[in-house]
Amino acid sequence: MAYVATRGGEKAIEQAERLFRQDLGTIDAARVETIRATMPYLIDRVMGEASLYDEELAALALAQTGGELSEAVLVLRAWRTTQPRLAIARPVQQHELLTQRRISAAFKDIPGGQILGPTLDYSHRVLATDVLLGKPFAPPSVNKAASPAPARQPSLADWQRQQGLVAPAKASAVSPEDIPDLTREPLLFPASRAHRLQSLARAETGGVLALGYAAMRGYGNAHPTVNELRIGEAEVVVRHPRGTEFSAGRVRVSQAEVTSKEKGGYLELGFAATFGWNEVKVIAAATLDLNSDEAPVGSAVHEEFYLYHTESVEASGFCIHFKLPHYVTFQSILDAMRDAKAKKAAAEAAGETYVAEPEEEPVL
Amino acid sequence: MSLATLTKDWAATSYGFLDASAKRELRRKMLKAIAVPGCQMPYASREVPMARGWGTGGLQATLTLVNPNSVIKVIDQGADDGVNAASIRRFISRVSGASETWDTLSATIVQSRHRVPEEIMREDQVLVLQVPNPEPLRGVEPNISIARQMHADADYGKLWLTLYEQIVRKGRIMQGASYPSMVNGRHVMTPSPIPRWDVPKLNMARHLTILSAGREKRLYAVPPYTRVEPLVFSDRPYLVEDHADLTCRRSGVSGFFMNELPQDGGGSVFEVSDSNLGIKAIDTAQGTPSEIGETWYRNGEFSA
Amino acid sequence: MLTVAPPDAVELRSNATFEALLWALSRPGDVRTLPEAGFGAIAETLVDLECSAYADTPVMREHIVASGATLADRIDTADHVFLSAPDTTGRQLAGISCGSAVYPDDGATLVVAVAHAGQRVRLSGPGIKDTTEIALAVLPGFWAMREMLCLYPEGFDIFFVDGDQVIGIPRSTKVEVL
Repeated sequence: MAYVATRGGEKAIEQAERLFRQDLGTIDAARVETIRATMPYLIDRVMGEASLYDEELAALALAQTGGELSEAVLVLRAWRTTQPRLAIARPVQQHELLTQRRISAAFKDIPGGQILGPTLDYSHRVLATDVLLGKPFAPPSVNKAASPAPARQPSLADWQRQQGLVAPAKASAVSPEDIPDLTREPLLFPASRAHRLQSLARAETGGVLALGYAAMRGYGNAHPTVNELRIGEAEVVVRHPRGTEFSAGRVRVSQAEVTSKEKGGYLELGFAATFGWNEVKVIAAATLDLNSDEAPVGSAVHEEFYLYHTESVEASGFCIHFKLPHYVTFQSILDAMRDAKAKKAAAEAAGETYVAEPEEEPVL
Repeated sequence: MSLATLTKDWAATSYGFLDASAKRELRRKMLKAIAVPGCQMPYASREVPMARGWGTGGLQATLTLVNPNSVIKVIDQGADDGVNAASIRRFISRVSGASETWDTLSATIVQSRHRVPEEIMREDQVLVLQVPNPEPLRGVEPNISIARQMHADADYGKLWLTLYEQIVRKGRIMQGASYPSMVNGRHVMTPSPIPRWDVPKLNMARHLTILSAGREKRLYAVPPYTRVEPLVFSDRPYLVEDHADLTCRRSGVSGFFMNELPQDGGGSVFEVSDSNLGIKAIDTAQGTPSEIGETWYRNGEFSA
Repeated sequence: MLTVAPPDAVELRSNATFEALLWALSRPGDVRTLPEAGFGAIAETLVDLECSAYADTPVMREHIVASGATLADRIDTADHVFLSAPDTTGRQLAGISCGSAVYPDDGATLVVAVAHAGQRVRLSGPGIKDTTEIALAVLPGFWAMREMLCLYPEGFDIFFVDGDQVIGIPRSTKVEVL
């Protein structure tokens, strides 16, 4: 009386899970540490999508899921659900970031300077096959610059505002405690800008890239120019109950501002930021943000469309749920279909005809 | 005040998995859902250790209700031993210490995907239905903001029109499961993908039904003794699946919703979908009397 | 892979309080028993930093602040309203939040200390098989004010607390003063 293929439910699921875990072998602290130390960009991606900044837990999640990314993100988000919220951090300002890399495509040079920082952008993407032949690859050492770039950099948009190129920033009347929090309240539409950016921050990288790319190719109304892209580290500043503010540590962050056309005499800016260093995600996400206003309902750049469909845990979960048995609903459909056929045959026998069927019929 | 007052001792997880603030949010929303029957209440919907679409909405409702004295029954397609039902039931008992059962009569909470048990639920029982898509208007209006406004205006014209067109074109309403139903004369809800057979069980029921969609972050309820009326035209009666005359090949019971099993040689045989009802009938036939409660359908006719 | 602690006293109290509230609202007019008398456990069960709450006593105001909720200085801006000495004419409720037809869940939850005795009323609606009659120590004006404010699905939902006994009246209930 159960799912015919896996009768004896409890035993079957137990053994199916064992099969999966057997292939991964014993997971110990050393394996977790190796993943953490050697895969920082993967860790960053997982932490961003999980909205949980903890490299060790992210590495553990990757270890116990064998690198199945959507499973790793789900495990971390589920763990997050059990943890109390202790404090709300002070908002991060761009000019306070410890900046490792910061570039602009909009100007040849910018106040504070273009800082390439760590990147593969200009590397030749050649597989280091020598490593497999027994010749380890040891990266050549970096030559220090004569004068190191300043650790903190001004915001380019601030300079643009001073020049009257970008609309003046509206002073926010919202206290940090009252910034809407997507993880504690549902996403409703039209979404607040805070919710939109938070949702993009935790969106699935591939999904954001696909929809952002669609916008870039022309399914949006704005072709982006990278105004400023930054990767760096942000202090997490929280308030002690006695009132003093202190830094609880630093987190790696990425942010992108993209711009396109003018609107009302100013350049419009799209923005995105996320935990971890993930440049492709923030550029694609900022492009979606830029295209959101005036986007046709139902288009790839309409916020309801892209926010819903880039939500990693929901999208992957719903996709795999179709593996669950659906035989009750199927039986119900079958019953209506058989009855309709019988009715049609009876009607035709009586010489009656039905109105032709439409090409597409709404499915309730 | 010190930092200690802000925090708590580290624990791998909270009791019942959800942390206290998640539970409070669900409690607030459940109360509002009961106050406005059939109206979808948005909630944050935390991630739980199961994939979205696998009963995470139902699970969050159950985890909010559960305590160590609860008795939990979980079914999928009517079966207690379905793989996902077994997984959910095991998880609930593991994080709450609640007992597990297959028997509708002894459960305090029944969490279900796609079925309502055949035995009548009592006034002290809660039915938690897992909902994949909470929006009955999705088929006629995919934009949720517009659909929400339509509920606010009680504007169900498009839905009625679709049902009417089905009658014109096919001679009957083609809706299979998830039959849109009017609750308390005001809000149209989807009763979750339960077959049409099960919808009358929610009308003026003794038990409380909580419907929860984790992925879509919506929660709604049908309190006891609340009208749930499938949308039908007065001259076209509501049709449940034509299962009244089918007999279960294993337990011999008849007049209940059945699973159809196609046979190699053509044709089909049937097994009762409420698997524990079948087991009770088999046990009784084999000399171990097992109490079968009063059922909503008697001799294939709805008679509660 | 997972160790789960047994519920602590707070968890058990909140769970039992919620069960009483859940059934009280599901079966309007039924009397349910709270694990302890008063409003403290109800606030603990429902209110936290996501909420805005109003109370008419210093003790409850302390409870609200400790929960992290915003302490509302007027009934109008609260989503949870705790009245230990309610105006039984209902006049003070004139501004209570009733939500909107789009978001009926924005309607407030009103918790009032009212004896389960006095003016008899007949209840009907969801949760009630036919009709039921109860007595509550509020004046007919209270019900008139409620009827004026609750334009279903807009409205507010009430818990009448008498010691450790609670009766729930959701906005969906029709109340006739007898």
